[in-house]
Amino acid sequence: MMISKAEFRGRAELYRLLSRLYEREADQALLDSLQSLSLPEDNDDLKQGAAALREYLASAGPDAVEELAVDYAAVFLAAGSAEGAAALPCESVYTSPRRIFMQEAWEQVCRLYAGKGLGKAEGRADLMEDHLALELAFLGWLVENGAVSEQKSFLEDHLLNWLPAFAADVEKYGRTPFYKAVTRIALGFLELERGLLEGLDSGELSMARSFSVRNDRFAPILARLREKYRVFAPKRFPKRGLKGADLIRYGEIDALTDIVYKEKSHLSAKEVFYPVSQTLFRFTGEECTQEEPADEREIILLARPCDLNAVRRLDAIFLRNGQPDLYYARMRERLHLFLLECRETFDNCFCVSMGSNIALDYEAAVRIDDICALIEVKNEAFLPYFEDEVPIDFAPEFVSENRRAARIPDIRREQLAEITALDYWKQFDDRCIGCGGCNTACPTCSCFDTVDVIYHETSRDGERRRVWSGCMLEDFTRTAGGALARKTPGANMRFKVLHKIFDFKLRFGEEHMCVGCGRCVDRCPKEIDYLDAVNGLSDLLAGKEG
Amino acid sequence: MENIMLPSPHKILSIVKETRAEYTFRVAYEGETKHGQFFQLSIPKVGEAPISVSGKGEGYIEFTIRKIGRLTQGIFGLQPGDMLFMRGPYGNAFPIERFKGKDLVVICGGTGMAPVKTLLNHFYDHPEEGRSVHLICGFKDIDCVLFTEEIEKFRGKFHVIPTLDNSSAPGFETGMVTVHIGNIPFDQFEDYNVVIVGPPVMMRFAALECVKRGVPEEKIWVSFERRMSCAVGKCGHCKINETYVCLEGPVFNYSRAKDLLD
Repeated sequence: MMISKAEFRGRAELYRLLSRLYEREADQALLDSLQSLSLPEDNDDLKQGAAALREYLASAGPDAVEELAVDYAAVFLAAGSAEGAAALPCESVYTSPRRIFMQEAWEQVCRLYAGKGLGKAEGRADLMEDHLALELAFLGWLVENGAVSEQKSFLEDHLLNWLPAFAADVEKYGRTPFYKAVTRIALGFLELERGLLEGLDSGELSMARSFSVRNDRFAPILARLREKYRVFAPKRFPKRGLKGADLIRYGEIDALTDIVYKEKSHLSAKEVFYPVSQTLFRFTGEECTQEEPADEREIILLARPCDLNAVRRLDAIFLRNGQPDLYYARMRERLHLFLLECRETFDNCFCVSMGSNIALDYEAAVRIDDICALIEVKNEAFLPYFEDEVPIDFAPEFVSENRRAARIPDIRREQLAEITALDYWKQFDDRCIGCGGCNTACPTCSCFDTVDVIYHETSRDGERRRVWSGCMLEDFTRTAGGALARKTPGANMRFKVLHKIFDFKLRFGEEHMCVGCGRCVDRCPKEIDYLDAVNGLSDLLAGKEG
Repeated sequence: MENIMLPSPHKILSIVKETRAEYTFRVAYEGETKHGQFFQLSIPKVGEAPISVSGKGEGYIEFTIRKIGRLTQGIFGLQPGDMLFMRGPYGNAFPIERFKGKDLVVICGGTGMAPVKTLLNHFYDHPEEGRSVHLICGFKDIDCVLFTEEIEKFRGKFHVIPTLDNSSAPGFETGMVTVHIGNIPFDQFEDYNVVIVGPPVMMRFAALECVKRGVPEEKIWVSFERRMSCAVGKCGHCKINETYVCLEGPVFNYSRAKDLLD
């Protein structure tokens, strides 16, 4: 298995963040940055630590910084506490028989730092070299600059040897849940690192390899890929869009130049693996026969981070909500997700707010420009196609700022009746025409209708198709008897907004449904701005207006 | 992997006209179904719709279908002997174990009687399992009355109040089901449950009336009729907030159902 370079960069960043947390008291900027922190959740310590941290941050009052400063002083500096009732974050304290500073462990790490030409930052002479903050910072440095074997031995000899005992003391003496949570995260992360480094050391894991491919060398590679795979990417369909404009949607490509990488596609990538219309089975008056795929080739989908993150949302609906759906599952099994890097944010994008600007779950990542394509290959199966190309050091970068931002309201289940009754939604009654264009453009809208097509009016032979539907369509909730559950465009808008930023997460945990691609905003013929609708609701609930 | 979207053919045994607009289809079926469950029925030339099981017996189940609108029209082209494609049963069921040994009140309106009819027949056939059964069944007018024979039959063992919304007819009360809830002797029951099934507005007002009369919310059970294109948690049509009626319903305790707002 290969690990992407972006994941390696993420590791070093997490070491630096943890180092900062122990180095000195928290300030508001640090607390703010923790709000949007996304952590791996591979073990219980990480999961529970992250949950406890989220809970603390959600309930933190205006005095949080002061409260944490007191906690920091008491636990890590032993201020005002009787001897022993603290967790002094220095390795020597935990590894020397007399539990005192500057013992053997301190001497060892001093030698290690010096060997790399590293010393303490100016003004931090007060920090011992074997202070947790410095040991974490050093390991973060090794991740980017050292060998796997060095990382592994430092982790085992100088961090995991004392961190569990230290964590137990933090758990015992910590006054707020904050440092207990942070320490659990640190412990969980280092455990995760141990597994990763063992895998890297033994060769089971390796770092992804990257290549530069000149555009004129791409054609034969693509030809070879297409023997086994169909390759889909954003592509231009001239004059097929609204009002005669070009339409950019995902389609099968014949050449690198087919890929539209400087613009946002109008439709999302979902149509590649969840077709707009799909035959489920054919029937006669007597029996049904399941439809088999016409093309057995596997699929490479070169998609934006928002679209890759959306795949996980669709997986939740089709594979985990009740029994899995066969048609989706068999398409999904053949799907290879490649990342198409966003070099810039586009109009109406707000992926950063939704945390979906970053996608690491890819098999290869691609950056395209007018001269060449840079490719990071994570799945070994694709290495043979690129091994003859120029090796380079490339990891995809991710947009870190959009021009627009979402303010996601923090809705509690008990507020639903009140939110449902808001006059706020009526503003959409006159404006929305129920065209469902937003649903069509959305990478996470998954609703469908089933439609039977009869081949001849006089026969019973035909096929059942599954066709995209959408909650903004007027008849979406109309029953066979004619009753309509949601009767107005405003009610539909409320349903959609709450699904995207509230109840999907409530049901499936982890993340909101909306990935912040902004395509629904781009698409609306009546210029209804979904993002404004979300932010307006947020302001309304926060009492800022109305 | 099982193909959860693929229906199987079942032979239509008979088609019985209930009213001008409603017909009961009896279909060969060998499996078990629980009271309140439904099937996805394939309507020729249209697609699928969720239809409650309105009756069952040895080797068959029944569906009562309204001949209105474009959606169900196609099914009326079928004859006994033809195949009906269906999948199911889907959904939860009325918690019959909790109803045993207690009084039962059933309030239904129009085709809302279909999903509760097997439940009523269960307690008719096994009176020893329950206590008293009170049934209020409302219909728009005399031409809309469903299951006339069975209502007559129920009179033998249950307290039955059949009622017509705005008109009178021999053997029927007049008025919405809500006006008759006052006749239910809740204060004489030791423990009981109330089942309410019908159009959304009727269910809402009947439940409110019961609560007004002191019925605890936890004793009330309702069943939702929703549009469904899959009935297996995928198509999204039946979703109310985070709840999928097909997976968690269609039967809900009122303490939860009252928060399922559209």
